[in-house]
Amino acid sequence: MSELGHIDVLFVGAGPASLAGAIRLKQLLEAKGRQESVVVIEKADKVGQHSLSGAVFQAEVLDELLPDWKQSDDKFVAKMLASRVERDELVFLPNRRAAIKIPYFMVPPSMRHEGNYIISLSEMVKWLANLAGGLGVEIYTGFAAKELVIKDGVVTGVKLGDKGLNKEGGQQANYQPGETVAARVTVLGEGSLGLLAEDLVGRFGLARGRNQQVYSLGVKEVIRLPDQNSFGPNRVLHTLGFPNRADVFGGGTLYSLESNMVAIALIMALDWRYCDLNPQRELQLFKSHPFISHLLEGGEVVGYGAKTLPEGGYFSLPQLVSDGAIIIGDAAGFTSSKKLKGLHYALESGRLAAAAIFDAIEGGSFSKEDLKGYEARLAESFVIKDLRAAKNHRQVFNYGLYLGAPLSFIQQWLPRLATEPDYKGMRRVRLGRCYQGGLDRLTDLSFSGTEHREDEPSHISFIDPAECEPCEAGYGCHPCESFCPGEVYRAEDHKIMLSPSNCLHCQTCRVKCPLQNISWQLPEGGDGPKYKMM
Amino acid sequence: MNYIVLVKQVPDIRNIPKEAWDWEKGTLKRGLLDNVLNELDKQALAFALKMREKKQGRIIALTMGPPFAEEVLRYALSIGADDAVLLTDRKLGGADTAATAYPLGQAVRKIEKEIFGGDRDYLIVSGMQSVDGDTAQVPPQLAEELGIAHIAYAVAFAFEGGQLQISRITRRGSEKVAPAGFPCLVTVTEWTRPSYPSFSRTRWAHSHRLYQWSAADINADQSRIGLAGSRTIVVKIFSPREAGQRNCVFERDLKKLAGMIKEAYLNRARAVEEEEKPKYRLPKGKQPDYEGEVWVYAEQEGGELSPASFELLGKASQLAAVLGERVGTVLVGRGVNGLSRELIARGADRVYIAEHELLENFLPVPYGRVISEMVAKHRPQMMLFSATPLGRELAPRVAYGSGSGLTADCTGLEIADFKRLDREYTAILVQTRPALGGNIMASIITQNSKVQMSTARPGVMRALEPDPARQGEVIKYKPAITEADLAARIVYTEHLPPASDIKDAKVIICGGRGLKSREGFDQYILPLADRMGKFLGQEAMVGASRLAVEIGCIGRGHQVGQTGQTVKPRLYVAVGVSGAVQHVTGMQGSDIVVAINKDPNARIFQVADFGVVGNLEEVVPELIKALDSQGGSSE
Repeated sequence: MSELGHIDVLFVGAGPASLAGAIRLKQLLEAKGRQESVVVIEKADKVGQHSLSGAVFQAEVLDELLPDWKQSDDKFVAKMLASRVERDELVFLPNRRAAIKIPYFMVPPSMRHEGNYIISLSEMVKWLANLAGGLGVEIYTGFAAKELVIKDGVVTGVKLGDKGLNKEGGQQANYQPGETVAARVTVLGEGSLGLLAEDLVGRFGLARGRNQQVYSLGVKEVIRLPDQNSFGPNRVLHTLGFPNRADVFGGGTLYSLESNMVAIALIMALDWRYCDLNPQRELQLFKSHPFISHLLEGGEVVGYGAKTLPEGGYFSLPQLVSDGAIIIGDAAGFTSSKKLKGLHYALESGRLAAAAIFDAIEGGSFSKEDLKGYEARLAESFVIKDLRAAKNHRQVFNYGLYLGAPLSFIQQWLPRLATEPDYKGMRRVRLGRCYQGGLDRLTDLSFSGTEHREDEPSHISFIDPAECEPCEAGYGCHPCESFCPGEVYRAEDHKIMLSPSNCLHCQTCRVKCPLQNISWQLPEGGDGPKYKMM
Repeated sequence: MNYIVLVKQVPDIRNIPKEAWDWEKGTLKRGLLDNVLNELDKQALAFALKMREKKQGRIIALTMGPPFAEEVLRYALSIGADDAVLLTDRKLGGADTAATAYPLGQAVRKIEKEIFGGDRDYLIVSGMQSVDGDTAQVPPQLAEELGIAHIAYAVAFAFEGGQLQISRITRRGSEKVAPAGFPCLVTVTEWTRPSYPSFSRTRWAHSHRLYQWSAADINADQSRIGLAGSRTIVVKIFSPREAGQRNCVFERDLKKLAGMIKEAYLNRARAVEEEEKPKYRLPKGKQPDYEGEVWVYAEQEGGELSPASFELLGKASQLAAVLGERVGTVLVGRGVNGLSRELIARGADRVYIAEHELLENFLPVPYGRVISEMVAKHRPQMMLFSATPLGRELAPRVAYGSGSGLTADCTGLEIADFKRLDREYTAILVQTRPALGGNIMASIITQNSKVQMSTARPGVMRALEPDPARQGEVIKYKPAITEADLAARIVYTEHLPPASDIKDAKVIICGGRGLKSREGFDQYILPLADRMGKFLGQEAMVGASRLAVEIGCIGRGHQVGQTGQTVKPRLYVAVGVSGAVQHVTGMQGSDIVVAINKDPNARIFQVADFGVVGNLEEVVPELIKALDSQGGSSE
């Protein structure tokens, strides 16, 4: 029986990487009859509510982690097995009317999805959490890890956020101070733009000599189609081109989900230069293209969300271990922009981290040296191999779609190309969209289920509010009003009004603000979106 | 002193996905909803925790539900409960409030015996009502099952000279009540901010062993649990009045608009009344399932009859006429004889009066007992109570005590024949009520009961015009009551002016971010509310969108919308409100919606009946002028 407070391994974030790691660790511990405690903390109210992905999943990675997963009678597994990709298309939309289907032989292998399964990440994560719980992993939701606790250069745990503060930061009657959660090793699986991982990397110079990490934003809707629909089941569709201009790296996706539902998403690299680009509006525009609208006829939006993904790839990976800490999953940056996949890498990274942690447990010490086995294992695995094969993929698209596309075939033989931080991309150039159709942003937002206690301190603030006015003067508009996929920023009489309770936690704002004037902190644990099948 | 806190896992009614409704089957797919702990139960837990600071003891959380309801017990443990009991068994499922109160009572007895070692010095604390059933019936029925006193709507407590005193809210203000003995049951309404669990306590709660009891473990009598033990059954669920298609009539001539608003307002008032013309006729050759008078509980306080009781008499007259029965009304108190005149004038054929000096002030135990005795003696076929705070804590005890089903907060009552699963019902009372926070309407019938009982929502049924020439009988009843029978003592009463709640407002003027500031609000919204109120002869209240509250226009109590209040006024005027879906959710049930916005494409116009496109700084003063010039109140 563990004494309260004594945690051996703490995973921050109940995402696929952490849960795979926790599961693997418990398997290893049990095989050796060991009882070390494995705890996962998650800032959402319930597991899965902050998870969002496409996703076309390479399931082979599960074979190592859960050898007989296919025999499971869990509903999620049944759904997944029934969602094998059977139709797989890549379509180029050169403008708002035309559509050119790329013949299969011309589709690069990295964009072929046969053998993959279409899944909802929020549902997968719930399944993994159940498995983990069954193995003795403790999972606690509603707890936001606000800071790393570091003593003499060693990470000794995390400090949780306070609860029960009022808007002015004073203590309410039910004030609960954030506790320090101590652990012998802290595994950071916070996902894209994880704040603790960034802090760790910054503090210990783990990114020295590496490329800046860059990100893309995915804005997604789940749409219910009528029983007789043009899209059909077991189908994935990827698009390039419209509505993304040639200088906006990204594309569209449309995947069949169960029960006549489809997941439609538009992904855009966050270095876009247009100061009035509104991602949610771009998604509506995407849906209006006749090729797409035909497929979505009679459909009704039932879900909405947004999340970023790291795209810097191989050269943007920092060192992944430090004394007492490891970084896994999207927090490390294991996404291949070439394959538009990151999920199976996240799972694998968690699994490999678990092996390294287990060795460290047996060795009784968790220094950087003891944990380095993780990086060695990664180097041998398909994770690093795949990322190396895409090592300049994202960077070549800095030259635009028409140069980048051909270059993408030879990018892995090019010397290291640098990346620029995304916020530097902004220019005084407008898209000037007039399209008003589709759903308005607030209505879409209502489908995300996002909520925050309205009298809590705002988790978003301007570092220097006086900077906002010159920003408007410089760009002719307030970019934040447009780039937030939620509805946090509203310009009112030249001032920006904040509605932090409309936040989706994607953190686009702190990446994209051209003056880097936005501070985004974790809100109270339990707050945020309530994704069900994202 | 020890504590038992009742907690319940309920669906999250604020986030019901469309696909969860199965209108054909008339059910809700509960599996598709998130489950949360009933908000008021958090208040109950906080109440017990606070009490424990003063009087040490163990806190046991108790819930009856499916296995995954253990989640709410984990929360209870994580904020300070010492132990938790999960009462779970398929046989207990499908239960109405009576078939829930009984097994809970058995569980309480078992807790008393096995966990408290027979020590009867404990308090049962529960939230006032749950958001899914929202009947508020289980706690008083549990108290009736255990034969103990209950104190409802508690908001505070104190130990005065070692004696527990509970402060509770009443219709006329507040009261301090001291229970005469223990165990006793307290229901709690919102009084504090709920507790957050600490991480370390959450970890402890996660691994702490729960008690898990089945129907057999609590020696439950099979005939009193589950569907079989239920005395009411839901026979249909359906959507409330369509909030949908409104066609906005744009009118820039504000004098004309004022006239149109008034006309619509008055028409709506009449439509409400006309809805209730009963058409039922007893089919030839069939006997009605029930026999006897139609009874109404006449609520009086301080010698004054509640207008809600007149509404009930009006409805009872209608029902009785259809059944060919008499209307009886029950009056309890001291020196209340004189009120029988008025009750007869308002439709009662017989007034049954129970008078005793100890019955001067309302206390649930003696009132409940006396009425149950009268019901047993005179055997009415149905009894109606107003769903006032008093009615809602009294009726459950009477119903439970007389083995009758009770349906809470009915907005529709009618006599009908009914066929269900090969069973035919003749001339029974079909009771319609909102549930799940007003998200659905449910039709309910009584079964396995001697009397059909309901509480009816005030303000829905129509009272008869008083007819002073009407004749009726007065039957006196002399109850045998002693001090001990009261089971509690009212220590202190305070009359406060009624706090207006925007939820009950008939006319709401709502300001949005178009008002920009508190000054804007004060300059435009407040005077418009004042004038509209005078114009229609009905006090108008002020509402605000979330954004308006956040920029400081007015306090949060006035917030309308998904994260504020849901309101259903007769008239809703939205000024400078964009009409985002999060706001519309809170007001789409309004009868008449008028919108003023400078943006012709504002979403608010999609849910409005009348619209004015223009700057509110111009339109509102002009509208006020138009209202003033057309003068005076409605009829």
